[in-house]
Amino acid sequence: MNKVLLRYTNLVVLTLLVLSFFSFMLAYLFPGDVLANLSGVQQHDPANLEQLKARYQLDSNIFVQYWYYLMDLYRGDWGQSFSSGLPLYEEVARTLPASIELSTYALLVSFAVGLPLGFIAGLRHHRNTDYALLSMSVLGYSIPVFWLAMILILTFALQLGWFPLSGRISLLYEIPRVSGFILLDIVWSDVSNKSEVLLDAFRHLILPTLSIAAFTTTVILRITRRSVIETMNSDYIQAAYARGLNARQVLFRHGIRNAIMPILPLLAMQFTTLLTNAMIVEVIFSWPGIGNWLIQAIYQRDFPAIRVGMLAVSALVVIFTMTIDLGIRLIDPKKSKVERVAI
Amino acid sequence: MNLLDIKNLTLEIDVAGQWVKALDKVNLVIFEGQIHALVGESGSGKSLIVKAIVGALPQRWRITADRMTWRGQNLLTMSASARRDLIRNDISVIFQNPKGSLDPLLTLGEQLKEIIPDSSCEAKWFWPSRSEKQRLAIELLHRVGIKDHDLCMRSYPHQISNDVCQKFMIAMALASEPKLIIADDPTRGMEITAKSQILKLLTRVNQVRKLSILFVSHDLLAISSMAHYMTVLYCGQSVESGNMLQLKKRALHPYTQALLDSAPSFRKDLPPKSTLSSLDGTIPTLQHLPTGCRLGPRCPRARRECVVVPAVRRVHEHYYSCHFPLHWDKI
Repeated sequence: MNKVLLRYTNLVVLTLLVLSFFSFMLAYLFPGDVLANLSGVQQHDPANLEQLKARYQLDSNIFVQYWYYLMDLYRGDWGQSFSSGLPLYEEVARTLPASIELSTYALLVSFAVGLPLGFIAGLRHHRNTDYALLSMSVLGYSIPVFWLAMILILTFALQLGWFPLSGRISLLYEIPRVSGFILLDIVWSDVSNKSEVLLDAFRHLILPTLSIAAFTTTVILRITRRSVIETMNSDYIQAAYARGLNARQVLFRHGIRNAIMPILPLLAMQFTTLLTNAMIVEVIFSWPGIGNWLIQAIYQRDFPAIRVGMLAVSALVVIFTMTIDLGIRLIDPKKSKVERVAI
Repeated sequence: MNLLDIKNLTLEIDVAGQWVKALDKVNLVIFEGQIHALVGESGSGKSLIVKAIVGALPQRWRITADRMTWRGQNLLTMSASARRDLIRNDISVIFQNPKGSLDPLLTLGEQLKEIIPDSSCEAKWFWPSRSEKQRLAIELLHRVGIKDHDLCMRSYPHQISNDVCQKFMIAMALASEPKLIIADDPTRGMEITAKSQILKLLTRVNQVRKLSILFVSHDLLAISSMAHYMTVLYCGQSVESGNMLQLKKRALHPYTQALLDSAPSFRKDLPPKSTLSSLDGTIPTLQHLPTGCRLGPRCPRARRECVVVPAVRRVHEHYYSCHFPLHWDKI
């Protein structure tokens, strides 16, 4: 087990190093001055320039520069934005939780819907229920996420007026920032009309969550269905039937665990697509997340922001997937060290 | 008294749009306390019979039988849940592939305790019955010769060796105290010591507890030492059935004779370095079954009449279906 932990830590550290190196190289690859790309300071008065050069060690060779870059990253000194002039670390810390929050809810929704539907489709394999669910999933699979978001806005926000159009929370409410996750912040804050504010934040969440979750739900449904069909046809399920267990006992004692275990890594992989979709949807719903922020940065050729934003998002994805993988690796008895028991 | 009585069991499988008889009028009678051997080449439908008995066949296949009764109760007409109860209480199956038929994510102990029926515990409450189940499980493991019960119950199926796994399967089969154990090729792929242990175990279970065993295998040597009665199956048709000793001494059907000849240990007069006898050809696939007697194309004694399915004939307790049985030559 220690070996496994060591291996995964090693893998994460190496991947993060490679990622940080790429982000460092971006400073050279982007057009413009390397120093400006690294620090985000554009107007050069000579005294300042010397000081910056010394800080980023631009006169030394590239590896020394990378080392100092790493140290800066570690200290949280990520340079400043071209457009706003604010420290990038704070910008990312402000926007990233909003994105994580949105994707987490979307992921939870798609799990809550996709897994049971996948099980139903798998168990009713080759019957009308299965076909209906499959065709629905094809529909959900092929609808572009931005188009779905537009349609949802058109119907539910503009026509019916059920849900707000954009943003995280109504401008009427002032919630102090503690964690960056809006629902948590509301719960922790001491506003008087807490339930009302919560409801408002919740209504803001529904449309973006649904438009992101639609795609992921269908993917999870399909993966689950396949796995359920495979598992239910396996020998030990047939054997369990032959031992006289009824269908419910077989499903709950043997079916569910065995169907979900092999697809957990696949399901965790959906987080990456989900995050990409979330970035697009954030722009449409003016959600103050990292996707929205990053796309603004790209529009404005805010090179330091692009560099840091990419690094932050990719690091998040790497750490998340690796953690899930590690968790699965540790709980899966099939992967545990084989000890040939001599009995 | 006969436990299981099957008459003219026919199973039809849909192969590429046309219905093929995978089992054609198979007869099988198992008496109480008897070891009944079911022998045949691979692909002759042995496992299909087992699955038909326990009801583990896909719904879309057609099963018909003149009679398929378990101690007088009709298996074919009873409801699915009644049949499941009956199988849970009275019939246990040991499968061909012990590892494949165990849940890979549960420890062996959990799976064994799942099988022990609540009715065999005296305690009715959850905790006492749990500890009693633990005790029963350990007892079962000891009975099949697994001494280190703790280690066995803690490990997962992939962690133990094949023969221990098969012993464990026998323990699971004994858990519900059944009347009949169906052993579907339990010694497949085992080396000789493990095999003889398993066979001894089954024989002992039969002798001590008056259990009937339906022993499905193609291992004639193993079967002949333990079985009382044998049914030979070829390509979904029951070819010959009779008392084990009689059958070995005087086979009436050419296929049985060929089967016995193919095992060198049954032929004491076999000179060294002589070629072993075997039937030409291989067992036909389901798509290309011959009409009439399915052995026809391979049978050394086949004549024109063999395109008609032979009727079952009997000599005392010895049943065979052949137009030209071996004992006619001697008359």
